Amino acid sequence: MRRSPLVTLGKLAALALIAVWSLAPIVLIVTSSLKPENQIFAVPPTLAFSPTLKHYAALLERWPDFFTALGNSLIVTAGATVIALAASIPAGYAYSRFQQGWVQGSAFWLIVVRLIPPIVVTLPLFPLVNALGLADTHLLLAILYATFFVSLGAVVMRAFFDQVPRELDEAAAVDGAGRWMTLIRIVAPLGAQGALAVAVFVIVFAWNDFLFAFIFAATRAKTAPLVLSEMIGNFDGVDWGVLFAAATVQLAPVLAFVILAQKHLVAGLSAGATKG
Amino acid sequence: MREGILTRLGMIAPAQGLIAAVIAGPALYLVWLSFQASSYGSAPSFVGFSNYARVLGDAYFWRALGNTAIVVLVVVHLELLLGLLMALLFASGIPFRRVMLAIVIAPYAVSEVAAVVMWRFMTDPDVGHVSALLRAVGLPMLEWSVVPAHGLVLVSLLSVWLHLPFTFLILYAARLALPGEIYEAARIDGASPFQAFQRITLPLLIPAILIAALFRLIFAFRLFSEVWLLTQGGPARSTEVVAVYLYLEAFRYNAFGGAAATGWLMVIGSLLLAAPYLIRLRKAARDAA
Repeated sequence: MRRSPLVTLGKLAALALIAVWSLAPIVLIVTSSLKPENQIFAVPPTLAFSPTLKHYAALLERWPDFFTALGNSLIVTAGATVIALAASIPAGYAYSRFQQGWVQGSAFWLIVVRLIPPIVVTLPLFPLVNALGLADTHLLLAILYATFFVSLGAVVMRAFFDQVPRELDEAAAVDGAGRWMTLIRIVAPLGAQGALAVAVFVIVFAWNDFLFAFIFAATRAKTAPLVLSEMIGNFDGVDWGVLFAAATVQLAPVLAFVILAQKHLVAGLSAGATKG
Repeated sequence: MREGILTRLGMIAPAQGLIAAVIAGPALYLVWLSFQASSYGSAPSFVGFSNYARVLGDAYFWRALGNTAIVVLVVVHLELLLGLLMALLFASGIPFRRVMLAIVIAPYAVSEVAAVVMWRFMTDPDVGHVSALLRAVGLPMLEWSVVPAHGLVLVSLLSVWLHLPFTFLILYAARLALPGEIYEAARIDGASPFQAFQRITLPLLIPAILIAALFRLIFAFRLFSEVWLLTQGGPARSTEVVAVYLYLEAFRYNAFGGAAATGWLMVIGSLLLAAPYLIRLRKAARDAA
């Protein structure tokens, strides 16, 4: 079918508009973090500028906290990913293979409970966390982040395990392997795609979250978004250059990761949305 | 294959344990707490429904609820509309599809805090580029720190920007799952592209649209960080949303009973807002069966 040039032109215009909407805020912050002060505020934004790293140097010097926080974010994100996968993979397998009513009912329960907003549970968790001595620890944040993605994780893993033929389980059983052995040695590796999709969700959430860090981290477990928010709150004159440098450092790794893992994100979302 | 009940239990135990310890258990405790008068340094005592009565009698709560409802409804429906249009555009065949997908998904990777940095800068009345643009075309400035309505507009813009990738991806995946042969058949029967959309695409996409709407309505109702980082609910508590109201009750005024009651009202509120879509989805599922 031949398309009229007018349609093609309209499409291109729409795509350009979409690209500007999506990217302009990101590009503005990243490029501005490399501009000398007098060019940050130029209207329209200058595209040709001699890049400088002085805002990054200032960030290092004035906010050493920020880099400690980046380390904390890394630890918490890694921990959350491990916990979420360790819980979602066996649950997803159970929901894919065991058809008993109570097993399937508990899958539904996972989803229903997830309707409760995170901020609602922060209040009752507060005294519990203090009593257990978990306040302001990496472990606590990792557990919180993992828990809020266990439901989606189990649903996504079930969808991926459903694709793995049951004959493999039966063959393993004939060879004398138990369920756990079957899962670990045979089925889980075949569902690796699903595990990657779950990991993408958890990593983005744990790396970026503000709410839980704001409420439960005070000093030791402060994450990067929390320190970034303190920089915004610094009301006696926002130092935009340093703020942009910090935002860029916080954003760059997860943005690169999401773009690289794009395929898995899409696969996970369609599995989670259609089956959940 | 035979396996013990212990194996089955063991496999779902980690997930169920986390959910029970972090969400379900605390939520139950919250029910109890919502019927108590409780604050630091005083033993809780049973007060019946008076926490609920107090919150429901608080003008600030109603303003927060109104703000939340407006922002959520505007944001979610804008997202659905834009997401649907984009899904149709992408499915119609576009150049640089992979690159464009990466570009559209990019905001998904941005944290709420970094997004606030971006939008605060762009709309800064003195130095922002969006402000300069608005001024140049003679539109009024977005005075988000002074005018409550403008603050909520900025919060809405920010939310749409952050969550459009999610809504778009659900709709796009659903659109790609529709078989191409139907469109072939429709074309042979002489259907115009618009008729094909109206009679084929839209009806077949309804379940996906409903699911995206439900997800987003329930999740958008939790809106906290964007508002907190932009306006802290100010000026004079005028841009508060329910989650910010809850936070202030709990952690600033130490009214734990009131905060607990607000928590349950928040859950009920989000379900009520989502109810029309939930009913539609059940109906769609029944019709399909």
